[in-house]
Amino acid sequence: MTNYVGKDVPHDSARGHVTGESIYIDDIPPMHGELVVDFVWSPYAHARIRSVTLPERVEGVAGLYTHRDLVHNELGPILHDEPLLASDLATFRGQPIVVIAAESQEAVLAAKRAIRIEYEELKPILTIEEAIAARSFIGETRFIRRGDADAALATAEHVLEGTFENGGQDHFYLESQAALVVPGEHGALTVHSSTQHPTEVQEVIAHLLGLDMSQVVVNTKRMGGAFGGKEAQATHPAVMASLVALRHKRPARIVYDKDSDMHVTGKRHPFRNRYTVGFTSAGEIVALKVDLYSDGGAYADLSPAVMARAMTHAENAYFIANAEIRGTVCRTNMPPNTAFRGFGGPQGVATMENIIEEIAAVLKRDALEIRRVNCYGVDSRNTTPYLEPVENNTLPRLFTELEQRCDYRARMEAVRAFNDASRTHLKGLSLSAVKFGISFNTKFLNQANALVNIYLDGSVQVSTGATEMGQGVNTKIRQIVADELRVPLARVQVMQTSTEKNNNTSATAASSGADLNGFAARDACVKLRARLDDVATRYPDFDWPKLVKAAYMERVPLGERGFYATPRIDWDWTSGQGHPFLYFTMGTACSEVLIDRFTGELKVLRSDVLMDIGKPINPGVDRGQLVGGFIQGLGWVTTEDLRYTPGGELLSHSPTTYKIPNINDLPEIFNVDWIDVENPVNIKGSKAVGEPPLLMAISVWCAVKHALRFVSNGDIPKLRLPATNEEILMRLTEYTKRGAIHA
Amino acid sequence: MRDYVLLHINGEPHRITGAAAFQTLSRFLRYEQRATGTKIVCEEGDCGACTVLVGRVENGALRYRPINSCIHFLFQLDCASIVTVEGLSKHGLTPMQDAMVQCHGAQCGYCTPGFVMALAGMFETESRDAKQALTGNLCRCTGYESIIRAAACVEEQPKADDLYPPQPILEAIRDVQSEAVRIEHFYKPTSLDEATRFKAANPKTVIVQGATDFGVWRTKRGFAPEAILSLDGLDGLGELSLDGETLVVGGRVTLTQFEAAVRGLVPELARIMDRFGSPQIKNAGTLAGNIANASPIADTLPFLYVMNAHLELTGTMGARVVPIAGFYKGYKTLDLAADEIITRIFIPMPKDGETLRLYKISKRSHLDISSFTAAMLMTRTDGRIEAMRIAYGGVGPTVLRLTKTEEFLAGRAMALETFLEAGERARGEVAPITDVRGTKDYRLQLAENVMQKFYYDAIGGGA
Repeated sequence: MTNYVGKDVPHDSARGHVTGESIYIDDIPPMHGELVVDFVWSPYAHARIRSVTLPERVEGVAGLYTHRDLVHNELGPILHDEPLLASDLATFRGQPIVVIAAESQEAVLAAKRAIRIEYEELKPILTIEEAIAARSFIGETRFIRRGDADAALATAEHVLEGTFENGGQDHFYLESQAALVVPGEHGALTVHSSTQHPTEVQEVIAHLLGLDMSQVVVNTKRMGGAFGGKEAQATHPAVMASLVALRHKRPARIVYDKDSDMHVTGKRHPFRNRYTVGFTSAGEIVALKVDLYSDGGAYADLSPAVMARAMTHAENAYFIANAEIRGTVCRTNMPPNTAFRGFGGPQGVATMENIIEEIAAVLKRDALEIRRVNCYGVDSRNTTPYLEPVENNTLPRLFTELEQRCDYRARMEAVRAFNDASRTHLKGLSLSAVKFGISFNTKFLNQANALVNIYLDGSVQVSTGATEMGQGVNTKIRQIVADELRVPLARVQVMQTSTEKNNNTSATAASSGADLNGFAARDACVKLRARLDDVATRYPDFDWPKLVKAAYMERVPLGERGFYATPRIDWDWTSGQGHPFLYFTMGTACSEVLIDRFTGELKVLRSDVLMDIGKPINPGVDRGQLVGGFIQGLGWVTTEDLRYTPGGELLSHSPTTYKIPNINDLPEIFNVDWIDVENPVNIKGSKAVGEPPLLMAISVWCAVKHALRFVSNGDIPKLRLPATNEEILMRLTEYTKRGAIHA
Repeated sequence: MRDYVLLHINGEPHRITGAAAFQTLSRFLRYEQRATGTKIVCEEGDCGACTVLVGRVENGALRYRPINSCIHFLFQLDCASIVTVEGLSKHGLTPMQDAMVQCHGAQCGYCTPGFVMALAGMFETESRDAKQALTGNLCRCTGYESIIRAAACVEEQPKADDLYPPQPILEAIRDVQSEAVRIEHFYKPTSLDEATRFKAANPKTVIVQGATDFGVWRTKRGFAPEAILSLDGLDGLGELSLDGETLVVGGRVTLTQFEAAVRGLVPELARIMDRFGSPQIKNAGTLAGNIANASPIADTLPFLYVMNAHLELTGTMGARVVPIAGFYKGYKTLDLAADEIITRIFIPMPKDGETLRLYKISKRSHLDISSFTAAMLMTRTDGRIEAMRIAYGGVGPTVLRLTKTEEFLAGRAMALETFLEAGERARGEVAPITDVRGTKDYRLQLAENVMQKFYYDAIGGGA
């Protein structure tokens, strides 16, 4: 009857978005007596707080609160090690110290002027190198080991050592962190939060304010972008507003401005990775040792899990018989770094793709040949270093198809010819791959529940733990439900996410939102449909509304809960082994870049992306993820350059100084496509698609590295990520000064 | 004299008096009109989420253009007609909005109203270059491709005049536009004489025309000048004409108008103007403002330096003319008396036989404040450099003429070696600093390399 899955249905909020009717936290009309919430944060990366002097009375200021006003002060998604409000020690610049409740924005400013905090500046740790030197770490170093890397390195034909460094990345969601809290009876709170993780917001509010979780309802209608930044760090503003709402029994709203948001929130983790790789003259990697170090910032946040994903992606698409992967999270005095689309995967994969480019440089071979030699096999050479088999492996096919489609060989020849001839510009070309594991690395998070209610008129409400941040999860769930119940799409409404409807949910993260919640919604629908089919046997001619009415009259329940727990997954850190992922989303991308030899200016001439994303539930939505993810990744690898003062103050804290890709940064030629393959283990044959496309942009960075090979006089070209114009020019200059160009 | 500004929002007249006139349009729309479709994200005109259309009377009709409402103040909007995303949608989706829905042009939706309004701005013009129209709008979700596709499939789109018949708005404006406006410390006079006298009487006056710089100082640093002067009521300062070989640009000519004029006259400058800023910024900002702001990385300045532009400064005692290079006394210090206003800018146009090249190096190619800028103007005869004018920006407290390098180059052979040596000399002539837009070493290298780049550009040997 209906068949919406697989169709290009418009996003279910699209109409509201294009008319401006969609409501975000700051758009909710002000409520009577509402208070403005803000906070004073540490201006120092590391300082002893000698004293905090709060003014007696400031016009328009309703209350000022410190750590003493919280029942508990520690939060954190993994270790609960982060004080919400610093007491005697400030450990990062941006750490909240005093919460302000005021009648107006002007009164907030007056409060900030009147609050006196005395600091004694301490020496901060601001980089990974400094943290390593000080042995300042979060948690233990972890290992994934297979075979005997040392022995294989000792006998390898070629051994290469190096360091790969990447910078952070600000999420730059357009809607900054925000929450509105409305107090209810007997300490109950209703929280409207821009969060990917309503349950965590609920749990942290309850814990810090001494409430039961049952007293706190967290609602998320939508987010104006999140990208991981509202997974763990949406809790801070929500708790601050909750504290105020509870104390004053008045609604309280907090909305960060963009500069503050960029100053105080954590970012994608910078990494500094050392590696030793052994390989044959044919380019086959026989051993790999990688020592991954991330900058976790001042507290754990999600850093251990981010490191786990970096470690399980450090071999990327390539089989390595002897591997030793070590991961250490550094504790620094930066804001706690957090989830960001890819979640450590991009850092692991970029490290490996960098190694491949370097092997190619050493062997003076085409890097694609090195990739093909080492690519995971379909029937053999297809087990990861952590011993999960790479099932349904489409990587070899993706390599072959993309190589042909983008005319790689001929273009590589053209690039060589161009670089021989041009005195002014350089080109580079690279075709890289991604194998991205789908499931939370933490097993228990891989569960979801859904609630489906059918009303007397035949209309349907669906509630799941999935949160809508633009990625289209609600649209996909709506399509699944309409198909499963066999009702027109227009009869199905996906409701705002609420902890009142769905309890103990996981974050909408790890690309898993549609997988987990889609399965849970389907589970509820299957049960409902079975009951209705039974009723239908007695009323064969009834259409949907009549059938629903008949079921009601027969006292058949028209509401159902669904549940899903991802099967087959497991992980054990003591052995560094297991089956952490249900399946892998895979892809290949080829990018060609043009570099100005005199200015380092970079232009992406062409990118071709070819992925295996299963059978998309909504091809239009998934195309948006592929393109949007790629461009976000392009920003990370090129223009998004976080700059700090020597004291750790972020200088690039707004779009004037922090440059995310602009519409003119799209590759001049940009082909995005996927192969037609069904994923046998996931909902409707689909694959998760949120994060993997971001990693396809690593091909751009590899192409820059490839271009530098033409001027590096046989040296392995070094290149930091992001490859900003400045980074490229400084590398070019290094080689020029040694006489490589102007020949 | 009026004590209010008259503006129309989605066809409805509003009279704004007192302190209310000093708020930004975006805040007024969101928090007083509860028209929350207009979003505030960066409050510095760099993301476009707050884009609205502003119509102004030009040749008896309303001409609508997109601007950033987050750095535009109500006092600037006297006699303007504003259309917001709510107003655009008053009869339901326009074809362009429907195309955005069908093409998945929106994901999280937060930037979407701004994109819709910037596209509406494009449809007010003849251009259908969506990339150009959307240079000032950031989207973090879509990667832009779907938005470009949506724009491309729109055949007809109603204009603001179709939605809001202009006659009643024009009539309401006609009734009041000849009156000066005074609201607290804001003054919009109707004659140059009144303007200079006001400025003389209030030496700390800030002239606010497009507010593209002022707006950011205000939203980000709370800048509150003692007096604000608008030149909008003055006839004459809108002059934009070619007088022989010299382009004459009036003191309130916007960058959009300037760009349109130079597109045919100086294509090289038009190329830089393309990347200089967004339509929203160029529609508001003026060339005089870019000059008066005195940033060492102002993108028009190196060009004005090598063309030897002159400024007409008018004060209570009359006008005087100064060369652009003499106008800057140090970092953000101007040769401008308290009563003076930049009334005209005289720009000699490049002559036949002159080679003009402009360089703007920034972290991102479009809509980014430069790390380094350069302008070079060369006269060449028979393979020799006759004369060369070089101006660099971003290498010192003001834009700099590289006189020593110029002297070195004069009379030399047009050869790579010449420019290699010129590069080294240029490097020695500047003293850049390290900041968020680049390190000192990077800027020194650019100062050196741009000489070679110019050489290849001039001989036509670039790839």
